[in-house]
Order: sequence, then structure tokens, then C-alpha cells
Amino acid sequence: MPNTIDTILKVSLNHYLVLSAVLFTLGVLGVLLRKNVIVILMSIELMLNAVNVTFIAFSRYSGNIDGQVMVFFVMTIAAAEAAVGLALAVLIFRRFKEINIRYFEHLRG
Amino acid sequence: MLELADYTFYFLALVTLVGGIAVITAQNPIYSALWLALTMVSVAGVFVSLDAWFVAGVQLIVYAGAVMVLFVMVIMLFDLRRETNAFSRGMVSGFLKLASAGIFLGLIGGSIYNSAETVFAPPPAELEKTADATKALANTLFTKYIFSFEVIGVLLLVIAIGAVTLSRVQGGTHAKHD
Amino acid sequence: MGVDAFEIVINVVKLLVIFLMMIQAVPILVWVERRGSAFIQNRFGPNRVGPLGLLQLLADAVKFLFKEEFLPRKAVRFLYYAAPVMALVPGALALAAIPLGPPIEVSAFELFGQRWGPYVFKLQGYDIGVGIVFILGVSSLGAYGLLMAGWGSASKYSLLGALRASAQMISYELALGLSLVGILLVYGTFNFYEIIAQQQGPLSFSWFGREVVGPWWLPNWGVFYNPVGMILFAASTFAEANRLPFDLPEAEGELVAGFHTEYGGFKMLMFYIGEYGHMIVASSLLAIFYFGGYGIPGLPVEVLEAKIAAGTSLGPTGVSVLTSVVSHLALLVKLGLFLWIFIWVRWTLPRFRYDQLMDLGWKSMLPWALANVVVTAVWLLLANSK
Repeated sequence: MPNTIDTILKVSLNHYLVLSAVLFTLGVLGVLLRKNVIVILMSIELMLNAVNVTFIAFSRYSGNIDGQVMVFFVMTIAAAEAAVGLALAVLIFRRFKEINIRYFEHLRG
Repeated sequence: MLELADYTFYFLALVTLVGGIAVITAQNPIYSALWLALTMVSVAGVFVSLDAWFVAGVQLIVYAGAVMVLFVMVIMLFDLRRETNAFSRGMVSGFLKLASAGIFLGLIGGSIYNSAETVFAPPPAELEKTADATKALANTLFTKYIFSFEVIGVLLLVIAIGAVTLSRVQGGTHAKHD
Repeated sequence: MGVDAFEIVINVVKLLVIFLMMIQAVPILVWVERRGSAFIQNRFGPNRVGPLGLLQLLADAVKFLFKEEFLPRKAVRFLYYAAPVMALVPGALALAAIPLGPPIEVSAFELFGQRWGPYVFKLQGYDIGVGIVFILGVSSLGAYGLLMAGWGSASKYSLLGALRASAQMISYELALGLSLVGILLVYGTFNFYEIIAQQQGPLSFSWFGREVVGPWWLPNWGVFYNPVGMILFAASTFAEANRLPFDLPEAEGELVAGFHTEYGGFKMLMFYIGEYGHMIVASSLLAIFYFGGYGIPGLPVEVLEAKIAAGTSLGPTGVSVLTSVVSHLALLVKLGLFLWIFIWVRWTLPRFRYDQLMDLGWKSMLPWALANVVVTAVWLLLANSK
């Protein structure tokens, strides 16, 4: 009869999913609480990484490689999002010398 | 019995979560970015612990090597120092935000607790390691998902043009002198 | 790590030895660089300490170790001290993933009244199936060392140097990765051992369904399949290692010394070790992908092993060890040649202007690398079709 603590601590799919969930929540908190645009972008990257962990974990535990392909797509989107986000941040900084999220509403036209 | 792989996972998870917490709590954006780079590297480690070697390598190249370096560079260009009010104000709204994030975490945790083991009850199928897995990955990517792949390519082109348009300035070393 | 104590000990020792190899190579390379530059510029160079100035390395090391510890005012303490380590680590990690010789096969033996083995030891810190992806990933982390140095030392020169360096590294990483895709298409694998094994023997390829075999002395090297890729790869490694003609990050005339302006003593030396580590890794990759790795032209590893077995009275373990050592020496010769080319170019070519550097990376090398990939793919498809 195996020890219960060991059964709980033995790494399984659930452990990866919990890790991913906590990481995702941290990203959500970052987006909600921070004011700096760049930190918010970084929190979004954190969430995308959490999703990637889920994809890879499911792919590994179901023996199906499609999850890894999805991770590629997510990474591409993340890189694209970072590029545009940083370009916007540069625009805001150039006009207001500060990159607070509340200046975004002035970026019309 | 716990094996080396389990301890590796707990170590990586610890680094990932400490990095993640530091990203959203660091007052200076540059430290946020450096902590996020550490998180990316340890997420690559998590991928390795799941036998996804190639994806881990791409994670290092794309995220840690390019995207995060871009972030750090932009922050350095702005010369942002420690922010005195890095967090949004308001006790009530702050409490609401924390509570909603907590509820969200609880929802995910509950669904994991209740469903994942039943859906994926059988022991993990051994994906073939490294080289063959990479070939299988390429086969899937370029046959089943070829259309999505092409669309992503077009999207990247659009993004590149958009980023250039957004950040174009008059003058600079590449300006045309008539 | 290994199944029993013997294997674990050997593997740990291997890792340490490879790290020390990198550290030890640096003083020698610095000496070669100084003497070589003196030779090229018709000077003497360091020739006072010891024969040919060889002990200059020792004198320099002692000087570096005993220099005063110095922290610039306003510097960010943690980043300032962490940056040299971050500059050193990626090179060391990447070097440990490079195969330095064929695996040593140790047959079973008795020791301490116990039966050990048989073992197979690879002449490599750790074997990773997707070797080149790992190396590219790890060496792309090198940018953080420079950025941390630039930010941590709170100096404008350092910051500008670091920004230039990281922009340059990101830009040339694309050309670097893409230039390797062509040759990877030819080999069809990421595994270094398989890549080197495919380059043994005489030049042989299939040409529209027909097998073509070259003369026995012409090795089956990647450079004959993908010369454009080789040139692009070599050029972008110069940029990745921040060497002239791409050493804008430390352009003395403009930035004093770039990102390591505020560093001195051993921390400065660690940056040097990082830079030379990058060069060593780049040279070994060049050797592995385009020049047959540890193979000797006209003498494949199996033939070498058979000859050693016939010519000496060693057991199978001894033959395997000797084969590895000879092959490793062959790799070292190639490495030495490429490292000399690195040094030679540094003292021959002038520096680019920064916009020329970016233009070269994005507007010339990237399109050429892309064209190389497409042409290689089409050529492979046509030549292998019946």
C-alpha cells in the first residue's frame, strides 16, 4: 500500500495543470493591478506561457502531438502581440513621457 | 516513491511561480522583465520535463532570446526608473480584482480536481523522445495544420508592417535626403 | 546521469573538464590574438615574459585576480555582479552540448570485486537529441549578460553599448538560424552524431536518382552541399560573438569600451571568457555542420578504428579510447584553424557603421539565407526524385 503523501506528491497531469492555473492567475492579476503598459504586456505573456504549459502537458499525457503544434501558434501570436504592443508603448512614451495604461485613450487618429 | 523527475518538477514549478510573482510585484519594470525571462527559461525546463525538447528549444530562442530581450531593450530605451505608484489605486476595486482572480483560480482548480483524472485516467503514453518526436511534430505541422501555418505567416507579415508603420519617425539614419 | 557510481562520477568529471577546457582555452587564445595581431601589424606583441611571451598569460591572470574590487557609484549592485556570470554561462552550457569526439565504448571490467559496465561514454557534457536547437536557444540568452551589464553599471556608454549589442544579436540570430536550416535539410536530423556520421567517407550524393561518388580524398563535407549557408553562418557568428567587423557594441572610438566600460579585473576577464566561449562554440558548430566534425578527410572513424585495432595490441576499450583521442585532435585542428580565422579577420577588416550593420543583417543576409533554404529544398526534392 503506497503512502498517501507520496501518491499526492507524485507528479501527474494534475500537477502541471495546477502550475499552469496558478501562473495564469498571476498573469490575470498583473493585468488587473499594474498600470504600466509594458508590465501589462508582460503579464499577458505570462498567461500565454501558462496556456502553453497546459497544451504541452495534455499533449504528453494523451500521447497526441497536436498540442505541441498549438504551442507553436501561440508562440507566434505572442511574438506578434509583443511587437505591436511595444510599438504602441513607444508611441505613448513619445507623447507623454510615461507609459501609463490610462494614456491609451488619447491614441486616436 | 518520488523520483528525480518529481523533484525536478517541483524545483521548476517553484522557480516559475516565484518568477511569476516577482513579475507582477516588482516596482521597476526592468526587474519585471528580467524575472519574466527567468520564468520563460524555467517554463522551457517544464517543457523538457514533459519530453517536448524541440518546443523547449523554441521557447528559449523565441521567448527568452528574442521577445524578452526586446522588452528589456525597450524598457532600457525609456530609461524607466522605479515607479512610485506602480499599482492601480482603490481599495475596493483592488479587493474586487484580487477576489475575482481568486475565484477564477478556484474555478480552474476545481475543474482540474474533478475532471482531469477521469478524462486522462490511463497512464501516460510514452511519446517517442527527441528526434523522432521532432519529425512527428513537423509532419503534423506541415500536413494537418498547413493551412493554419500559412495563415500565421500572413499574420506575421501584417504585424511586421503594422509595427513598422506605428513606430515610423521622420529623420533618423534611414531617412531619404533629397 | 548514469546507472551506477562509476558512470555518474565520469559524467560529472566530464562536465567539469569541458568547462575547464573553455576557461583554459581563453588565455591561450588571448595570447594568440595578441601575438597574431602583432604579426599582422608588423609589431612584436608580448614577448618579454617567458619563451615567446607565453608566460604573459599567467602574468595577466595574476594581474586580473589581484586588481582592486570596484563598484561604480549609482551602479545596481546585483545586476553589476550578475552580468559577468550571465555572459559566461551561456557559452559554457552551449559548449557542453557539443560532441568533441566519437563515443568511447568501455567494455565490462572487474574493480573492487565488483563487475562494472559495459559503458558508452560520449565525449560531450550531455547529449541532447535536438542539439542545435538547444545551443541556439542557450546562446541567445547571452544578450542578457550584456543588457544587465549595460543597465547595472549606470553609465551611458555601457547602456548604449548594451543596446547595440542586443539589437545586433537579435538581428543576426535570424540569419544564423536560417543559414543552418539549409544544411539541416540536407542531413535530415538535429543529432550531432548522425550529422557527423553522414559526413564520413568520400563525397557521395544522389543526382536525379543516380548515385555520384567522388574521389576517396574528397570528404563528404557539408560545405560542398551548402557553401552559401556556410558563408552566411560564419558571417553571422562573427556578429553573434560581437567580434570585428561587427564589434559595434564596444566600438572604442565612440563608446570607450561599450558594455564593459565600467568593469575591471576578473569581472572583465569573465566577459572575455564569454566572448571567446562564443567563438569556440561557433567554430565547433562550423566544424560539425560544414567540415565533418571530428572526422579526418579520407579516413572515416570506422576505418580509423580498424587501423588502430590492427596496428596496436590494445584491447577493445583501448582502441576506442585511442580512436576518440585521435578524432578529438582532428576536431581541435579544425577548431584552431577557425579560431585563427576569427582573429585574422578581426585584425584585417575595418568596422562597419551601425546602419550598414543593420542593413547587412536584415536586407542582405536574411534574404540570402531564405533563398538558400528554398534553393536547397528544391534541389533536394529534384535530385532525390527518380
